[in-house]
Amino acid sequence: MKKKIGYSICLLLSLFALPRVLAQQPIKQSRPHITITGTVIDTTGRRVEGASVTVPGKKSVGTSTDVNGRFILDVDEGATIVISYVGYGEQRITAASEHKSLDIVLRTAAAGESVVVTAYGKKVRKEAVVGSVTSVNPDALRIPASNLTNALAGQVAGVISFQRGGQPGADNSQFFIRGVTTLGYSASPLILVDNVELTSNDLARLNVDDIASFSILKDASAAALYGARGANGVILVTTKEGKIGRARINLRYENSVSKPTKNIQLADPITYMKGYNEAATTRGAAVPPFTPNQIQDATATWNHAPGSNPYLNPAVDWMSMLFKKQTTTQRANLSVQGGNDLARYYISGSYDRDNGILQTNPVNNFNTGMKYENYQLRSNINVKVTKTTEVIARLWGNFNEYTGPITNDQSGLATDLYDKVLHTNPVAFPAFYLPDSANLLTKHILFGNSTVNGGLQDNPYADLMYGYKTFSESRISAQFEVNQNFNFITKGLSFHGIFSTNRYSYFDLSRHYNPFYYNVGSYDPKSNQYTLHWLNNSPGQAYEYLTYDPVNNSTRRITTYIYMQGSVDYDRSFGDHRVGLTVLGTREQTLTPDANDPLTNQPSLQASLPARNLGTSGRASYSFDNRYFLEFNFGYNGSEKFAPNHRFGFFPTIGAGWVISNEQFWKGGIGDLITRLKIRGSYGKVGNDNIGKQRFFYLSSVNPDGGPGASFGTTNSFSLNGTTILAYPNPDVTWETAKKSNVAVEMTIGKGLSIIAELYHEYRYNILIPRGYIPVTAGIESSAAGNLQANLGTAYSTGVDLHMDFNKRLSRDLAITLMGNFTYSTNKVGHLEEPQYPYSYLFHTGHPIDQQYGFIGERLFVDDKEAANSPAQASFGGPLPQGGDIKYRDINKDGVIDSYDKAAIGLPTTPEIIYGFGFSVMYKQFDLNAFFQGLARESFFVNSSNDNDTYYGKYGTEPFVNNAQLLKAYADNHWSLENQNLYALWPRYSLYNNVNNAQQSSWWLRDGSFMRLKSLEAGFTFPAKWTRSIYMDKARLYFNGLNLLTFSHFKLWDPEMAGQGFGYPIQKVINVGLNLNF
Amino acid sequence: MKIFIKLLIAGFPILLVSSCKKYLNVTPDNVATLNSSFSNANETQAYLFGCYNNLQNLSDVRHNAGFTTSGEIVFPINLNDRTTLGGGGGDAGFTIMQGLQNSGNPLLNFWDGYNMGLNLWQSIRMCNTFLDNVNTPLDLPAYQKTRWIAEAKFLKAYYHYWLIRMYGPIPIADVALPINATSDQVRVPQQSVDSCFNYVVHLLDTAIAGLPPVIQNTTTEQGRITSTIALAVKAEVLATMASPLFNGNPDYAGMKGKDGKPFFSAAADPAKWQRALDACKAALTAANVAGATLYQLKISGNVTHMSDSTQKLLTIQGAITDSWNPEQIWTLNPQYGWQYMTAARVTADAAANVFAVYSNFSVPLAESELFYTHNGVPIYEDKTWDYPNRFKLQQGDSAHVYYIKKGYTCPKGNFNRENRYYADVAFDGSIWFGAGSTDDNNPNYVNAVNGFAAAPDALRINVTGYWAKKLVPWQTVFGQTSVAYNYSWPFMRLPALWLLYAECLNELNGPGAEAYQYIDLVRARAGLPGVQASWAQYSNNPGKPNTKEGLRAIIHQERRIELAFEGQAGWDLRRWKELQNVLSGPIQGWNTNTGTNGRSITGYYQLVNYYQPVFGLGNYIYPIQTYDLLINPNLVQSLYW
Repeated sequence: MKKKIGYSICLLLSLFALPRVLAQQPIKQSRPHITITGTVIDTTGRRVEGASVTVPGKKSVGTSTDVNGRFILDVDEGATIVISYVGYGEQRITAASEHKSLDIVLRTAAAGESVVVTAYGKKVRKEAVVGSVTSVNPDALRIPASNLTNALAGQVAGVISFQRGGQPGADNSQFFIRGVTTLGYSASPLILVDNVELTSNDLARLNVDDIASFSILKDASAAALYGARGANGVILVTTKEGKIGRARINLRYENSVSKPTKNIQLADPITYMKGYNEAATTRGAAVPPFTPNQIQDATATWNHAPGSNPYLNPAVDWMSMLFKKQTTTQRANLSVQGGNDLARYYISGSYDRDNGILQTNPVNNFNTGMKYENYQLRSNINVKVTKTTEVIARLWGNFNEYTGPITNDQSGLATDLYDKVLHTNPVAFPAFYLPDSANLLTKHILFGNSTVNGGLQDNPYADLMYGYKTFSESRISAQFEVNQNFNFITKGLSFHGIFSTNRYSYFDLSRHYNPFYYNVGSYDPKSNQYTLHWLNNSPGQAYEYLTYDPVNNSTRRITTYIYMQGSVDYDRSFGDHRVGLTVLGTREQTLTPDANDPLTNQPSLQASLPARNLGTSGRASYSFDNRYFLEFNFGYNGSEKFAPNHRFGFFPTIGAGWVISNEQFWKGGIGDLITRLKIRGSYGKVGNDNIGKQRFFYLSSVNPDGGPGASFGTTNSFSLNGTTILAYPNPDVTWETAKKSNVAVEMTIGKGLSIIAELYHEYRYNILIPRGYIPVTAGIESSAAGNLQANLGTAYSTGVDLHMDFNKRLSRDLAITLMGNFTYSTNKVGHLEEPQYPYSYLFHTGHPIDQQYGFIGERLFVDDKEAANSPAQASFGGPLPQGGDIKYRDINKDGVIDSYDKAAIGLPTTPEIIYGFGFSVMYKQFDLNAFFQGLARESFFVNSSNDNDTYYGKYGTEPFVNNAQLLKAYADNHWSLENQNLYALWPRYSLYNNVNNAQQSSWWLRDGSFMRLKSLEAGFTFPAKWTRSIYMDKARLYFNGLNLLTFSHFKLWDPEMAGQGFGYPIQKVINVGLNLNF
Repeated sequence: MKIFIKLLIAGFPILLVSSCKKYLNVTPDNVATLNSSFSNANETQAYLFGCYNNLQNLSDVRHNAGFTTSGEIVFPINLNDRTTLGGGGGDAGFTIMQGLQNSGNPLLNFWDGYNMGLNLWQSIRMCNTFLDNVNTPLDLPAYQKTRWIAEAKFLKAYYHYWLIRMYGPIPIADVALPINATSDQVRVPQQSVDSCFNYVVHLLDTAIAGLPPVIQNTTTEQGRITSTIALAVKAEVLATMASPLFNGNPDYAGMKGKDGKPFFSAAADPAKWQRALDACKAALTAANVAGATLYQLKISGNVTHMSDSTQKLLTIQGAITDSWNPEQIWTLNPQYGWQYMTAARVTADAAANVFAVYSNFSVPLAESELFYTHNGVPIYEDKTWDYPNRFKLQQGDSAHVYYIKKGYTCPKGNFNRENRYYADVAFDGSIWFGAGSTDDNNPNYVNAVNGFAAAPDALRINVTGYWAKKLVPWQTVFGQTSVAYNYSWPFMRLPALWLLYAECLNELNGPGAEAYQYIDLVRARAGLPGVQASWAQYSNNPGKPNTKEGLRAIIHQERRIELAFEGQAGWDLRRWKELQNVLSGPIQGWNTNTGTNGRSITGYYQLVNYYQPVFGLGNYIYPIQTYDLLINPNLVQSLYW
């Protein structure tokens, strides 16, 4: 312990004390003589904001360009002005009194001047990069939604990304770098913001305006420095820092309207009743449950016929009862930046407000509408303490506040209401009653309900109204960094240190009354008056006062995180030779004191222990004459999850690049056509230590005194609980390893078209997979059987990433840009422990990892007789199939349909192809850009079961069962006695869960591919002479839309939601925004 | 200074990692692991209780094939709501008789612990883990350790025995295999039936020595295994081994291991009965020493009037429902939880609360006809009993006033029956003493035609019109607020041991005085004359007790009557290979599902074939889930599956 403290102190000393050791240099002043003004544009005519304008040797003189690319600088005549900007070649101009007004065109850095942010935030000249790193322009990630992850699809070559649901606050896209190559626990990439590991939720909340760079590290060489954590790829984000110059203010305000991309079409209540009757009688009921009178009365209600009574004969459109057609979202963001030689600052604050689409009722004195607010504050301050020492302080606070209806949903957000609406009988009861004579003075809402089999039903309207829940979530991060230049020791040596910590906290609480439920007690047709009968009238079942139960109904979560990093860099050129060396050490700790053990979902001691990582890594690079590049990387790190002898792993990689276009022989001829050509390749190992939910694989995890027990004594008064084993100790478990190889070609054709094409192959081994072969007779406790695992799995993946862009300035006023991305990633299972199946088609090995297995649905049975005489479909349990139920193929021809008749059907459920393409046009003050995105080679299964599982997000579409509503498409196209269509969309109706038809089968298999107009934006920048008059640099008004058009073969709901059509729909957004710069 | 800085900087990252390897030792030494469960005597005892867990679970009749698949009680096959028996799938064991047993996902799967089966292999592993670690705690006194080891061995033996009864040849799990054992080591093959039984008997023998004969501290230990229990179990195991299902069963001669060796012996070996007989004798001796004796009625609380006739019935019932009485050799602590499934609605209060009584446990007509006449012979043998006209209706008379509601119309077959019929079974018109009324001159009675007991809907229905009254103590009152008189589930009673002894004697030596003597002990308590006297005087087959086959039939029927509804008959009928015959005819009962309209005597007394049970040769030995055979290719599927 003492020793540990000692090292911590030595680390801190090295961070804090070092700069002070170094003597401060006095700062000289100089007098201006002339004033130079200039405008900086790039080759496409775009004004370059934030380009730095400096005078070498004069630290106090310097500025940066404003949003219109302009600068003003007072200098001595004859001084050299250097204009530079990341990604562009440097321009040097001599100040002369005859050229006080300058137009400066920055050229895209040719030949290796462009900079790419790579592992640990290190900026590397683009030409020198030998690994696979995609750098995304943050502007490309700006979409009119409060979720950054939804912008990734199609924008980033090499990322497979898709969004399955649209619930505000829980609408993250899933994303995988180069697809999924593991059979194991996690295929998620490592996400680092300013070098600190964060979650995908944090990434989702990042404000695009705050992002300086966004990089994806894809291959072994790029990710090697992360060693045992880099195998799934790395997402690296850095936030903006202040730029030298006067204070600049950027204000953005957006107001959006959102609604589902596609509304699910439900059958009307009358069709529902008829369908319900059909479902009953077609399966043998003698009497239809709804009488013709009931149907007639409901029809009258539905049509608002005179004399109809919607309370007596309810026919409810629950969807509009609970949900508005659309909702609004506001986003505001304000940032200030500036600085001088000594200090720079970037401070930004933002406020997002997502309003839910829920209805409210004036009777309640509290607002049950949903509101999700996000506040963020970010402050990045860079201070030059000495000439060679810079310290950086980064503070970031992210706060989410939510108010909404009470929910049991895992997410804490009230999306289960959407599911409840889809699982409520539209004709059973009205949402609420108007008071009868006895209830005229009643203050509570008279919710409708009915008793079937003695129990009350779910009234979603009451679920919406009876109370509210709020939660509050925050993450506050403080980060301190030191950059120390050691040129005075030896040229090219520098040190970089980081200390970062953050605190995460979450709590929620709810307050509610217990709703009063009524049905109609008696009805007088003459007066058209009813009296109400109070259904839940036992004491304590309903009450009007609010209750609060902080212990049982609330959750609290706290996490602390500490990270330390130190690195030494050496980078120096000797003539044509350039040498770089980096050595780096990190340590990281996450502590979640009240964490639930993933094995039990209960708090446990093991889960309360800190999660730690420790690593050292290094890079050595050599280049010659900007033509030949060679790089060696390694990561050596350890994780406390494994036994001491399996804790540390060494992950080396090697990479090389050759810039052919810099060769002498390339000049002229082909060199004029292909102005830039580079080939590069890498090979190496990286690991993944996020391989299972067990906290420590080398320890058994037990629940002493929490297992099954026994009671003894004549009154059974003496009880003890035994021990449950949650996981057996397995000291041999270690990380999974990826061997990755990558080759790429980068080329620029002519001046505008650049192409990057990459081809990769990966072999993943030591994947922790469940042991398949231990017979149950060994007596492994079932609580632990799933955790009996070994590093035995292997998998392969291969794929292609393509990126292409084209810039052309057609005239002074008109410029166009085209861009396209294409990602293809395919994988297959190498080794998996499988039972000794008697049929070869049952084995998973060799198929894609997400390959689905199911029956082959041939058609519907013609009649009961055929169903009875076909191979028996009894193994699912439940009633035997009848005519109109799905007939499955007996693949092994044994006369029985059972699990041996399941074959690999369809494509993987994770798309293999993601693509995106778009254009932007700028003409004078106007700009227009459009972006199309799509995916292909994906299948999904329409969920045809009665699932109603908000916890796991499984929403079955089977009508009638669990009070499920009837999809219009099913009502229009199903097998019925009148319409015995053997290929109908829906089989014969039934009132019970029809397990025969709910089996995963080719009947429900659908093509998941689609393409959509993901975004379209039109902007107008106000002319400078208008804005300047109000001291404004720039004002831009823009209109944009998200998910505006979708093209797909699948019509029932948005295809990106795959099978779970009853889930919360993906949103279409129309947005207007205003961006002001001062 | 500069040198210091240089060194510091160069060394820094390496320093950070190499010197801080301990940084990753985040687990304290005393994190709870399996070892903690044996750190002291208390924890060790808790682990032992975990070993007991599945044994106690066996008291739930849903898990007991001897209860659910015996033909004694059927569960309705078409209820609106199939979750009434403790949740979905609670009736899995009952559905086997409907022919739903399958090898893809077997019912009552005790191999994997699915579909109302319990995973006994896990319990066996727990016992092995316990035996491996019991020497760890330092504070465990030797005498306790001996006893606990013996208990764990008993449990291990009993779990094996339960599996053998269901699956015949099974793998023997004598040790807990290590987690990293190779696939060859874990793919354990089945052993022959004889070696399985011998293994169980051997384990029991080693356990018996370490067990106490009786429980001294009954407040905290009643229900733990004694040597008396172990000896009785050993007797049952050896009798099972000697019985025709396992002793030279030609139907299973074809079931062979992967090595070609047969699992069942080719020919019956009568000597096995000798071993069983010796074990029964030892068990009986031990039971006597331990003070086992027949139950005497104990009445607590106020009783308005209770005739001698009623007392006799309550004595027969109390032997089961008065827990821990001296007749119960082995009782499992958990209490019978399905009284609401078993009882009939006999009061207005019980009928008013539709959730109080479900009555779904329905006794088939054939089971009710098993009980003797008041002369102690089967109803079809009794010369004085009008067997052909038993379904004719007549009115309750004064002679049966404590059994049948006076003046109430019901079938003739309910008259002139033995006490155990009136004690164990309720029928339309039968007196139901208790349920709130303790005056047998003005008692509650069952009115299933148009009274409280009639089914209010298709959910709370008894589908045959016979109730297993034996399992509902008279003290239990159902109503708006139900008060159940709970009792722990008896697993073995003294009469069972007596009849087992008589059976062994007859199988080994044929009829004899000693055999008659033990049967007559059981009959005497039921108020019946001895076997020889009854048959000689009343039976149309008076010579029956004098032949081995005849006496065998008598013993079998006596055992089924005495142990009716106790979860034993199913096992007995299996080992005798008689269950197929018992289930050959349809399940019959009265027309109880008349709905609320048209409830009438003539409507009710229509004999209804409820369903035709399915029980083939293959049902004697349970199927192993097909998937398990894929995992362990050394296993052989049970014959006929």
